[in-house]
Amino acid sequence: MTQSFSSRRPREGLVLRELSRRVQQQTLLDRLTLEVAPGEILALLGPSGCGKSTTLRLIAGLDQASSGEIQLGGTAITNLPPAQREVAMVFQSYALFPHLSVERNLSLGMELRGVPRSEIARDLEQVLALLQLEGLRQRRPAALSGGQRQRVALARALLRKPALFLLDEPMSNLDAQLREDLRGELRTLLRSTGVPVVYVTHDQHEAMGLADRIAVLREGRLQQIGSPEALYNTPANRFVASFLGNPSINLIDTDERQLGLRPERLHLAPAGSRAEPGWSVLEGSLSHREWLGDRVITHVHCPGQGTLKVVDDAGQADGPIQVRWRQDEALSFERESGRLLPLTTRSQ
Amino acid sequence: MARLAVLIWSLGPMLWQLYTSLRPTEALTGGATGPAGWTLEHYLQLLQGDPPFLIYLLNSAVVGASSTALTLALAVPCAYALSRIGRSASRTLSLLVAAAAAFPAVLLFLALLEVARDWHLANNLLALSLPYAGLCLPLAILLLQASFRDIPLELEEAAVMEGMGLWQRLRWVLLPLMTPAMASAALLIFIFCWNEYPIALTWLSRSDLLTLAPAMARIAGSSVYTIPYGAFAAATVLGSTPLILLMLLFQRQIISGLTQGAIKG
Repeated sequence: MTQSFSSRRPREGLVLRELSRRVQQQTLLDRLTLEVAPGEILALLGPSGCGKSTTLRLIAGLDQASSGEIQLGGTAITNLPPAQREVAMVFQSYALFPHLSVERNLSLGMELRGVPRSEIARDLEQVLALLQLEGLRQRRPAALSGGQRQRVALARALLRKPALFLLDEPMSNLDAQLREDLRGELRTLLRSTGVPVVYVTHDQHEAMGLADRIAVLREGRLQQIGSPEALYNTPANRFVASFLGNPSINLIDTDERQLGLRPERLHLAPAGSRAEPGWSVLEGSLSHREWLGDRVITHVHCPGQGTLKVVDDAGQADGPIQVRWRQDEALSFERESGRLLPLTTRSQ
Repeated sequence: MARLAVLIWSLGPMLWQLYTSLRPTEALTGGATGPAGWTLEHYLQLLQGDPPFLIYLLNSAVVGASSTALTLALAVPCAYALSRIGRSASRTLSLLVAAAAAFPAVLLFLALLEVARDWHLANNLLALSLPYAGLCLPLAILLLQASFRDIPLELEEAAVMEGMGLWQRLRWVLLPLMTPAMASAALLIFIFCWNEYPIALTWLSRSDLLTLAPAMARIAGSSVYTIPYGAFAAATVLGSTPLILLMLLFQRQIISGLTQGAIKG
C-alpha cells in the first residue's frame, strides 16, 4: 500500500557537491560533499549551529547556496525554486495550518497543485489509514496531541509524493518515551517510500537507531560520514568520539598522545592489582556512583587525569580503586589536531 | 468600586446624550414648568427631514466600506512585503511609514482641495475613499505588519514546500490567520471614515450626498436663534449606534486566537 506514495524509484539519489553557504562574513556550511542513495536514511548529526539545518534548507530550496551543486535523481536542482524540487519536508514545529482541519491540511496542497479530485480522495484515504488518522479527520491541529500532529505532518509529506524526504528534528517536540516508541515505526515508514531521506537531529540515539548512515557536522564542516558502528568504533577525530556515546568517552593524556576510553570498555579492580600483559591501569579513588537499573556508572577520580566514567560496579565502598582497560580497545588521538591515529600505532 | 468609576467615566457622556435625545425641547432649555416627560419628537424630526437622516447614515456606510476595502487591499501586500524583507530595510521603511502616520493631516487640506477640483472628484462619495485610504494607510500597514510577523515563518515555508505560489500562500494560509488583525484594522479604518469631518465638509456640497459628520454640523447650524440640543443628541445616538453594533459583531473575531496550535502547544 505504501508503494503508491513513492512517485518513482530514482536510480540516483541525492548528491551534494562542495555545497557551501556564506552569509556576510560567516560560513554556515563549508564545502559539504555527500551522497544519499534511494531508500537510504542519512542522519545529519551535530550540536546546534553546526550547519545541519542549513544543509536541509539548502536542499529544500528555502535558502540559496553560495556555491556548490545539489543533484536529485541525476538532475541539478541547485537553482530550482522549492516548489519544483519535488521535495517534502517535515518541520520541527510540524507547521500544520492551524485554521484547517486535519483533512484540509492534507488535501489543500494537492488541490492547489491541480491533482484530480478522485485521486485526492483515494490518496487521502490511504494515508489516513496508514497513519491511523481516520478518527481525527475533522480535528484542528490545536486539538491534537504531539504525536498526532507529527503523524499529520508525515502524512502531508507523504502525499507530496516526493523524490526526497527531509525531516528537521521531527521528534524533538515529543516526550522521551514516545520518541523511542516511534523510532521503529518511522524508520519502516521512511524506508517504504524508496526515496532518499535526510534526517536532521542533535540526538545521537535517534540518529543511531534510525539512520543507515550518519554524517557528523561541526561548525559547518563534515567531520565523518559512515554507519553508526563505524562512527562509534573508529571515530575520525576527538569531536566525533566525544559526540557519540553515552556516557561520553573518557579522554586521558599520555606523553605524546591522547587516549579515548569508552566507559563500557573500562573495568574496575581493587587498588594496587597487578596489570596483566596487554592491559593498562590507572589508580584513582571512587568519587560517586550512578545506579541506572540496567547498568551502573562509576565515577573514578584519577589524580592528574580528572574523573573517569566507568560502566562497571564496585559496590558502595569508598576509597582507592583501580581502572584498567585492554590496550587494543583504547582509541588514540593526536593531541593538537584531535585526529585519530592509525590502528597500527594504537596498541603499545 | 474603581471599575464602576471607570464605567461611569466612559459611558456617562453617551448615556447623557441618550437621555437628552429623549427629552422634549422645553425640558432641555429650561422653559418647561413641572415634569416634561419623554418624547421621540427629535428622532421623528430627523427621520422625516429633507433629505431624511437615514440617507446620511447610508452615505457614511458607503464611504466607510469602500475606504476600508481600498485601504486593506493596499495595506495587506505592503505589510506582507515589509514583514518579509530584510531587517534593516524593513526598519527604515517602517520608520517612514510611522512618520507618515504622524504627519498632521490638516496640512494636506489645501492640496486635497486642489486635487478634488482638478480631477473633478467633488460630490462623489466613492472618490472620498482616496484621501481616506491615504490617511489610514500608514496605521493599517503598521498594524498588519506586526501580525504578519507573528505568523511563524515555518508555516509559510511549509506552504512553499507544498508547492504553493505567493498568492496561494496569501489566500489559503496567511490571510485566514490574519483575520483577527484585519478585522480590527478594518474597524479602526471604518470608524475613522465614519467620523471624518473636514475633508467630507469640503469635498461634498450636495445635501443628499453628505456624510454623517457634516450633516450633523448642519443640524447644529440650522438656526441662528436656538440651539437644537434635542435633535443634535438624537443625531449623535443614531450616528453612533451602527458603530456600537459593528463593535459587538466583530468582538469575537478580534479576540479569537486563531493562531493557537500552529506551533507546539
